[in-house]
Amino acid sequence: MSLFLIAALPFLGACFPALLIRAGRNASAMSAGAVSLLALIGLLIHAPSVLRGEVIAARLDWLPELGLNANFFLDGLGLLFAGLILGIGILIILYARFYLSREDPMGQFYCYLLLFQGAMVGIVLSDNILLLLVFWELTSLSSFLLIGYWRHLPEGRQGARMALIVTGAGGLAMIGGMLILGNIAGSYDLTVILQQRDLIQTSPLYLPALILILIGAFTKSAQFPFHFWLPHAMAAPTPVSAYLHSATMVKAGLFLMARLWPVMAGTDAWFYIVATTGLVTMVLGAVIALFKDDLKALLAFSTVSHLGLITMLLGFGTGMAAVAAVFHIINHATFKAALFMTAGIVDHEAHTRDIKRLGGLRRLMPVTFTIAAVASLSMAGLIPLNGYLSKEMMLEEAAHTAWLQSTWLVPALATFGALLSAAYSFRYVAHVFLGPERDDYPSHPHDPGAGMWLAPAFLVSLVVLIGLFPETVAGGIVAAAAGAVTGGDLPEYHLKLWHGLTPAFYMSAVALSGGLMLLWGHAHLNRAWTNSPRPEAKTIFDAIVGTATRISRILTDRLHDGALTRYAAIFVAFTLGLAGYAWLSGTLGPQTRAPLEIAALPLIGWIGVIVSTVLMVAFHRRRLLALILMGVVGLVVSVSFNYLSAPDLALTQISVEVVTIVLMLLALNFMPKETPRESSPVRKTRDAVLSIGAGLGVGGLIYALMRRDFDLPTISEYHLNNSYSGGGGTNVVNVILVDFRGFDTFGEITVLGIAAIVIFAVTQAVLSGPVRGRLLNRKPDAPQSGDAHPLMMVVVTRMMMPVALMVAAFIFFRGHNLPGGGFIAGLIAAIAVVMQYMASGFGWAAERQHVPYHGIIGSGVLVAAVTGMGAWLAGEPFLTSAFGYVHLPGLEKFELATAALFDLGVFLAVVGAVMLALESFSRFAWQPGIAPEHAMDINPARDLDPKNPEEV
Amino acid sequence: MMQADLTVILPEIVLAVYAMLALIGAVYSSRDDLAPALVWLTTAVMAGLAVWIATGTGGTRIAFGGMFIDDGFARFSKVAILVSAAVVLVMSQDYMSRRGILRFEYPILVALTSVGMMVMVSAGDLMSLYMGLELHSLALYVVAALRRDNVKSTEAGLKYFVLGALSSGLLLYGASLVYGYAGTTVFAGIVQTVSQDDLSLGLLFGLVFLISGIAFKVSAVPFHMWTPDVYEGSPTPVTAFFATAPKLAAMAMLARILYDAFGGISGDWGQVLALLSLLSMFLGAVAGIAQRDIKRLMAYSSIAHMGYALMGLAAGTEFGVQAMLIYMAIYITMNVGTFAFILMMERDGRPVTDIRALNLYARREPGKALAMLILLFSLAGVPPMLGFFGKFYVLRAAYEGGLIWLAVAGVIASVIGAFYYIRIVYYMYFGDEGEELDTRSSPALWGALMACAAAMILGIVNMFGVEAAAAAAAATLVN
Repeated sequence: MSLFLIAALPFLGACFPALLIRAGRNASAMSAGAVSLLALIGLLIHAPSVLRGEVIAARLDWLPELGLNANFFLDGLGLLFAGLILGIGILIILYARFYLSREDPMGQFYCYLLLFQGAMVGIVLSDNILLLLVFWELTSLSSFLLIGYWRHLPEGRQGARMALIVTGAGGLAMIGGMLILGNIAGSYDLTVILQQRDLIQTSPLYLPALILILIGAFTKSAQFPFHFWLPHAMAAPTPVSAYLHSATMVKAGLFLMARLWPVMAGTDAWFYIVATTGLVTMVLGAVIALFKDDLKALLAFSTVSHLGLITMLLGFGTGMAAVAAVFHIINHATFKAALFMTAGIVDHEAHTRDIKRLGGLRRLMPVTFTIAAVASLSMAGLIPLNGYLSKEMMLEEAAHTAWLQSTWLVPALATFGALLSAAYSFRYVAHVFLGPERDDYPSHPHDPGAGMWLAPAFLVSLVVLIGLFPETVAGGIVAAAAGAVTGGDLPEYHLKLWHGLTPAFYMSAVALSGGLMLLWGHAHLNRAWTNSPRPEAKTIFDAIVGTATRISRILTDRLHDGALTRYAAIFVAFTLGLAGYAWLSGTLGPQTRAPLEIAALPLIGWIGVIVSTVLMVAFHRRRLLALILMGVVGLVVSVSFNYLSAPDLALTQISVEVVTIVLMLLALNFMPKETPRESSPVRKTRDAVLSIGAGLGVGGLIYALMRRDFDLPTISEYHLNNSYSGGGGTNVVNVILVDFRGFDTFGEITVLGIAAIVIFAVTQAVLSGPVRGRLLNRKPDAPQSGDAHPLMMVVVTRMMMPVALMVAAFIFFRGHNLPGGGFIAGLIAAIAVVMQYMASGFGWAAERQHVPYHGIIGSGVLVAAVTGMGAWLAGEPFLTSAFGYVHLPGLEKFELATAALFDLGVFLAVVGAVMLALESFSRFAWQPGIAPEHAMDINPARDLDPKNPEEV
Repeated sequence: MMQADLTVILPEIVLAVYAMLALIGAVYSSRDDLAPALVWLTTAVMAGLAVWIATGTGGTRIAFGGMFIDDGFARFSKVAILVSAAVVLVMSQDYMSRRGILRFEYPILVALTSVGMMVMVSAGDLMSLYMGLELHSLALYVVAALRRDNVKSTEAGLKYFVLGALSSGLLLYGASLVYGYAGTTVFAGIVQTVSQDDLSLGLLFGLVFLISGIAFKVSAVPFHMWTPDVYEGSPTPVTAFFATAPKLAAMAMLARILYDAFGGISGDWGQVLALLSLLSMFLGAVAGIAQRDIKRLMAYSSIAHMGYALMGLAAGTEFGVQAMLIYMAIYITMNVGTFAFILMMERDGRPVTDIRALNLYARREPGKALAMLILLFSLAGVPPMLGFFGKFYVLRAAYEGGLIWLAVAGVIASVIGAFYYIRIVYYMYFGDEGEELDTRSSPALWGALMACAAAMILGIVNMFGVEAAAAAAAATLVN
């Protein structure tokens, strides 16, 4: 049968039990069993050739660019594991059929079980480490479903989460290791990687790859310090515990270490990490197991201990140790699965797993007792069972292993581990089955039907058979698997019961007798153990999670406290840092421009700007003052533009400055006079440092850049050269606006107009709502001036109106050749009108304003558009300008350019937009108290209280 | 000439004109009850455009003197943007209608921001880049504050706007420095000046400020501060939108400007991106742990994911760009599915965002819980879900680009980050008994959830051909 089919069968078959559950529980279980059996038969067909040393492969390109191929191969190691997974799988299916009660959704259970089985088979058959990763995580996932399947979990739901987090995280770490490994070897195919021993071990990335992969393997196989999750996952139903947590899933980590043994093992790093971890796990797990009262917890920690033993053997890195490891994998799978099943039977019949409430079951459950006794004695390592054989091999290997020059440490600890192992195995038998019968079992225990004990009985028969005839029963598969692990020749070894009086024999004898003594003194020890303080892995895990949560909370509280200022501060600080980095890594080149001389006038202006900026920082809470200071800054900037030969810019700036200040004055009307005080001194200092840093940085950058010539021809040169010849004007700025970039300007005035209309629309909408009422009832927080329209101001503004308009016209007409233009002229005209509003009042001005501002905007845009389209008449593209010189009698020769017409459009649009916006805003300020009377005819007595005319 | 230029940009024009016509129509009729119909119409238009772009002419076309580029990279990004925006629109309709916050502006704003995004990814010039970016951002500012009567929503919108303006300023400052020192704003011209050996400081500063400005849009740490607030404050459909198309657009724009304009100095910007990537991955992973609000959690999740996508870019190779594109495509799919689920989380008709509300959700809604489980595992990057492949692509790209430390750091961050995804799964499957969520679900949301979850599983067969498309797209960008 193709390897693809073997790997796919459990996945394909997973739907049968779920569907067939309608036909009854037997049909469902049978279908699951049949699928597993079919896969097992397919596997066994290949067994003879694999045992001869052949490797069977099946290849399929999947995502070749990523290096992910669906390649499978079957060698001795794969055969051993796949056989265990499928074989024990069938037994578990049989056992679960009778273990699960009527209420449990059995179809679902078998479905998940088969999914899990498929994932496990996938792991052990994969010839691609990415494919292996995929299956690796699939086991985590399906095991999660299996654990979660048990809906009425009594306790330890936390355990499921812990299991998932630990193994899931380990798997993710392994991704990194596999990535590095694959890159070192140049391929993600295991068959290729396994040939690259020297390349991998000499690579500088060997150690990171090793550590990351081992994290994955250790978490999966519950090795110290990740051992704590396994006992907590025992909340799952017993068939799941037996299958996942003793026979298969936890062995995936071992499988991976064995699989990568040829290329990863043999180095010091490997020995000290793997062997030490294994040793520690073995002893630690055994100690804890001895004092557990929950049957399953006892077995769980014993599993941890035995997994540690195998890990240690793999860590030794010798061929003999590999043989022992493989052999112990087989033996452990047989006796431990059997033990779990017996524990499940006890739980099922006696309705408790607490050792303290059990005892004396020997007569009540003779069959179970026999099975459990044989399996436990094998676990204890008693001759002639299979556990004895592999334990002897382990002790033999440990006997001549030195750890940092100390020759006694490993043998001593290994013996101690074996001793503890014997003790808890004896305890399992003695405290559950032996002793006097009790009369207070929660339920009356008796042997279950054959369906439940057949599976463990079969396993126990294997335990005995392997023990008695090791070479005949297991010799072939051990040789093939061990050969695959070492990737070469095996040392001379014999699987037999009697090796003579070797050191291992004495160690074993010490272990067994010591174990018996421990059992005898268990009661005392147990009291001491319960009273002694010891670190509880679960509390440590919870503490780690708690700490992480706290760190996370602190981080989020500190960083994301919701304050915009903090966000902006971090933003600026980081950008400053990046800029500093850029400063350090770039080259600036020599200064090519001499600094200009500093004359008195600009110096005064510069000082003026700085002083007002500083004052602004000091007095920014007093809003009116801040506004005035801002005006000063704007003014100096405008003047400096003029000083630096940019009169157009200066004119524009000053006009914009006036309009914005007027706008803000309007806004001030609605705001409190002072800003509340919120900043602490610390924050102020921080902000000061940041803003000074950013300001100096930007200033310094500009200074540095201005001291150097640009390598490239500047764009201003082009415009200077072409302005007169192409646009007919000598004022380059204006020519750019109305000619070179006329299309932009056209867009801009359109946008300006839209913006003004939107302001108008929003104002209208707001004022027609409930806001209007609030505005009308607003109580000003400061006494208002009695004279809203001072006579002096009214007179002056009215007199200035025609003058200002004249100036606007003048500026407009000279614009093409001298500083000026439609935009500036528009602003000046708008200011002239705004003055009337301010001085004489909204009502008075509005009465005399006959042309609606909407219309002015629209006409401006239309004029500009028509001018642009005029170019079409001449067959030119939109907005191509034309100019000519005209002689009129009585006047000098003057120039006529279509650009001027376009500029008129700009002028109109600007006037309309500015006025419409300001007028809209000022409508907020309008209050019924101020009558739209003729502002010139003010009755001074108007504001007097009629009842008390003397008091003003 | 003009004719040819307009042909290249026709999809953008169509969408823009559609948005304006729809706006005028809606304003004149001033009927909010037409909004659902408008949502569907907009979806249809965007989906149609996506099909048009996907099946249209191949090759690279340049319009407006290099300002606008239509190549494989742009088309890949545009299709992803349009499709995800359309899907999110459909998902929003039921949710917003029932809460009375579906106004006709919403689909129009989404269409407008999509136009902006399409211009962003096609920009061949700093000018057109900025134009696209601003159109996109302005529409998003409004969308973020869509729920005007809600303090959180308006606050989020305001923060986003202020910080966005700051970042735009930085970007502009950088752009003007680049222009000053390269003498041109066209990427093709800039790349010729920066490939010289001695890199002038002005250009370097320009580059740094450009990256800072765009990093804000990508929500890379430390320019990410707005993300949790906006995610939490906005109505959930808007959050879903924020989490999908704009992220891809910003990433694609970053790739575009870095490769087209600064391709010669990938070493310089690679370091900056690697730093941003590292910070994003870790902050996203660590800060997410403490979150109980699933929307805030998704914000940190997206920050971490952007870190991974940046890792692909930081590699500075063609494979890196391909990895980034694949990663983003997968990321979007995962997020659409996850948000479909979040949109269905409600109790008595009111939206719920506390993850503890999911207690034992799997018992009542096994199907939806399973779909969410798949999506969450995919977000965590657990094989065999598609999310793993995305992560694997960028890790490999970083590794092969010589950023081994970054790849290892990415693995560690993913281990930390897995915690909070798994915690949600834990609540759904194990948690304690508590108040139950409603089991109501709209067909659109249910469909989106299931389709995305299925994609996470089925996609592993051949990634629906995205891999090849991304490879072709990356090849057009990097040469």
